[in-house]
This record gives sequence, structure tokens and C-alpha cells, in this order.
Amino acid sequence: MAIGLKAYRDLCHGCGNCVTACPVNSLRSDDVAGGKGPSELLDLIMIVEDGAVQLKNVDLCGKCGTCVESCPVEAIRLEEV
Amino acid sequence: METTEIKEGKDITVERTGEEERKLLFKDPLCAVCGLCETICPVSAIEVCPTGAMIRTEQDTSKIEIDENKCVLCGMCSGICPFQALDLQIDGESIKTMVEYPQIIKSADIDELECIQCKACETACPQDAITITRELPKRADLITGEIEIDKDTCIYCGMCEEMCPVDAIDIAHQIPSSDSPVVATDIEVNEDTCVHCGICKRICPVDAIRQVCRICPYGEYEIEVPEVTGTSYIDPELCVNCTWCQEICPVDAAHVTKPFEGELTIDQDTCQACETCVMVCPCNVLSFPKSEKAGSKPEKLHKDERFCIYCGACEKSCPVDAIDVKRTKINYSPTKSKAWVKAFESLKN
Amino acid sequence: MPKHIVSGLKYLAAVNLRKKGQTQKEIANALGMDRSTVSHYLNGRNISRDSIEVAEVVIEMCPKDSLLLTYTLLKNKERTRTIIRTCQNKRYDGVIKNSCIGCGLCVDTCLVKAIVLNDLKAQIDFKWCCGCLICVEMCPTNSIEIKEVVD
Repeated sequence: MAIGLKAYRDLCHGCGNCVTACPVNSLRSDDVAGGKGPSELLDLIMIVEDGAVQLKNVDLCGKCGTCVESCPVEAIRLEEV
Repeated sequence: METTEIKEGKDITVERTGEEERKLLFKDPLCAVCGLCETICPVSAIEVCPTGAMIRTEQDTSKIEIDENKCVLCGMCSGICPFQALDLQIDGESIKTMVEYPQIIKSADIDELECIQCKACETACPQDAITITRELPKRADLITGEIEIDKDTCIYCGMCEEMCPVDAIDIAHQIPSSDSPVVATDIEVNEDTCVHCGICKRICPVDAIRQVCRICPYGEYEIEVPEVTGTSYIDPELCVNCTWCQEICPVDAAHVTKPFEGELTIDQDTCQACETCVMVCPCNVLSFPKSEKAGSKPEKLHKDERFCIYCGACEKSCPVDAIDVKRTKINYSPTKSKAWVKAFESLKN
Repeated sequence: MPKHIVSGLKYLAAVNLRKKGQTQKEIANALGMDRSTVSHYLNGRNISRDSIEVAEVVIEMCPKDSLLLTYTLLKNKERTRTIIRTCQNKRYDGVIKNSCIGCGLCVDTCLVKAIVLNDLKAQIDFKWCCGCLICVEMCPTNSIEIKEVVD
């Protein structure tokens, strides 16, 4: 059993905290590092799409838990997948 | 002959009984998720879970998984684990006490004769492994003087009792009645407790207290200061040999030998300050420095390598590969087994 | 039927041990038999020709099969190795490579108790090795090499 990233779209408020907190995202995008959402289409781990978090490139995830800590509503989690 | 695995909470026991009884014990709370066991395992039986996830987030599972179908109970994981999280026992005896097995050389001691029980190490220890107990003398033993209350003058107002910092004054208060029309019947000073500070004398509205401290007029040589006694204890299971106690001790009473030597490099440009490594590090090596003044930008991630044991947990946890842990020396006792030497040496990079 | 094969094997072992000069008492102890049964066997009584024939086939099978079958029938490592060693006339030799990690899996697996650990390295007593190669198959680091000694 491996631990991986899971998003619960039905719980998500779409605040985007996880998108900007994620160190992998912020390394890949200056916009994200600056606290904004991505202004161009890049390979990010997760983005906010239609008002809720959407996982995009989970294979980039280093499973550090920063996004989990940043989420106010437990809508993104590291758990057994 | 069969290898079985038992899980008790998050602790794991892998067992094989044949000509000898071999038991590999994993204690989850002690594991720092450094990944050395996974690296050294010659049969790839260990999988270490993602370090950041295990330390930063709530997980129901153990920090490592041991495949009992692959594990041959050789004990290499137990031999290398710097955190006492893994232990191989053969017929009830730990291989960490057997001379034929190479032993990681590490130690932490507090010299009882040197220790002054200041508790700096206890406060600094990142693993709460140190307990210092100390017996302090009575305050009154550090001072000498005389105190007397003139009960005829005293009006029993209780100001001295209320202000005394060491509760040395006791007044027998009462509600006046027709047969005893007074607010108190007696006032006592406990001379064993009194520190002769003179506050009672100064606050007394009727000048009923005579008090002298003998320290100032006669000099400090008058009294012998009683010794502070105490004990120190380092929990060998919790200690990670990080040298915090050694470095913070003001009297050089703590002595630590680290298990590994090496080099820790941080790529400040790649680091995104996610704090994972800071939380993961069992030795409090890493921190985020605050700006000293507005506009001055300190380094993103600060390290103090004096405390680093080069376990590699931070490197393993970093999601952007901004940390590099290089081990240049593994300190271990000699062994005749070439395979074990090779395995230990392979952890250098 | 299994009992008859055991009788056959013990008969063969008894005859061979006698040839090596062991007393009936010693043979009885080594094989876990009554002294009277040993005496009967050595005089060719109380044993069927068929049992002996099957036992001879068992001994002639490949060493691993021979060992596993004998051990399954006897369920006793000491007697198994006595029978195999007295009846089988092959010799083995080999080396333990430095890659041995001392896991002791071979010690636990060896049905003839020929292996011990010494300084985290397996050590085979070739006096007992029957060439089954179970240890070679089980060794997680492929550290055991065993070959038949051909004179």
C-alpha cells in the first residue's frame, strides 16, 4: 500500500491555498511562487478548476504534506491509494 | 520454518523460528523515516513511507512496511538504524550486544561530576531524551538574620502576612466576639522560611517588626552556600546523538559521539521554504531565520551542521530535491563479515 | 505403506552401520529402534524384500528428493541425516562466498543440520552435507556453492 495525494472536490472551497503552498508548483511557476494562480498552462500537481481543486500531475508530488497542512477544510489529503 | 509478521498498533514484529529464534522488532514512534533501512536491506524487503507525509500528516499506517515473504532476518536494518527503531533479536538477545556484529559507534553521556544541573540540555534536547533532577537548598539556608515582632504593638492588620514573598508570617485571624474582642489572637514568623528581605518591616504601619539581615554588614563569607545536588539521565532509546546537549552545556559536562560524519548542502535557490525538512529533522538542524531588520533578507533555510547526524531524512523528505546529504564516514566497530562491511560502506556517498 | 519404506530405510542404514563396526546398541540408538528389531533386521528377519527395494530407490533418487522423502517419513533431522549419510555414498564440498550476510536462513533450512553461523558467515560441515542444494536455492545473496566430489 502506497501513500499518495487525493483530492476531495466536493469538500473543496476552491481557495487555492494548496496550489500556492505546494513547493513543487511554486518551483515550476513564478506566478504560483508569488502567491497567484498560474497564468499559463504548466505542468503543476494541482490547480483550481471550476471552483474546486483538481489533481493534474500527481507523479510530480513529493508527498511532503505542505498542501495538506495549508487546506482549511481537509479537501486534499495524503492517504493510502 | 516460516516467517511471520505481527502488527501491534503501528509496531511490527517479524519472526522466524528454526534452529534459532529470530525476531525483528520495529518501534514506530522512534522512527524518523530516514530511509536507511530501506537502502541497506539486501533483499528489498523494506519500504519506507514518504517522510513528509508520515511526519506532517495524520496516518494510520506504520512508517515502514516489511514484506515478511522477502525478509530474511539478517539484521542489517537493525544494525544501521540510528534511531533504535529497529532491533533484531536472536534467541532473545539483541544483535546490538553481540561482538560479531558491527556496532554503530555513538554515545551520549553527561558527566555527573561536572554537571551543574542547569537544565540547558533538557530544554534544548530535540527528542526530550534528557531528564535532569535537582535538589535546591531552602531559601532560608542562603541567608542569615533576625526577626522579631512586638505582639503588644502589632495591630494584626495582616499587611506583612499578605506581602511576605515566602509565606513566612502566619496570623491567627478571627471574627471578634464579645468574649474575645480582637481581630487576631496571635502572629508567628517561621524563621526557617524567612529570607530576611525586610518587606514586612517596611510595610508595617505601626513599626512592630524588628528585622536585620546579617549578610550585608558582615559579608558573604558568613554563610556557607549549600550545594545543589541532582542527577542527569539520557534515555538511550530516545537519544539521537545530535550533540545539542554537548553544544549548549555551559560546563562541558555532556559528551556525544555521532554515528555518521558528512556534509549537508542546501540549494537556497531551489528551496521553496515549505518547511517539510524543518519538521522532519530529528536533530533540530534546520530553521527559518527571521529578518533582523526590514529589507534585509536572510538565507531562506538555515542549517547548523554541528547538530546534524547525516541520517538523510531531510533529503528524503524534500519535494524539490533542494537538500543533499553526503555521508563521508560511518562509525562502526570492526567485524569479520565482508558483506556487512560492504553494506555499511555503501551508505557513504 | 510409509511405515514399510521407513523400515526399508532403517534396514539399509542398520546394515551399513554394522559394516562400519557399530554395535547393535549403537545402531538402535542412532536410528531410534528397539535393539531386538535391529537384531532381526541384521539377520534378515521381519523385513520384506519390497520395503528394501523401495528404500534402495529412495536412496538412489536425486539428493533433494531423497532427503525430502526421508525427512517427511521420519520427521526427525538427526535420524534423517544418519540414514542419508550412511546409505548415500556421494561426497560434497563447496565454498561460502564473502557476500554471505549471516541471515541464518540456510541454518534453519538445512534438514541434515550441516550448517552453522560463524562470525556472520555460514559454515557447512561437509561430513553431513547430502548435496540437496536446498540452501543454495534459498540463499538470498547466492553465496553458497556446493559441488559433488568425484574421485
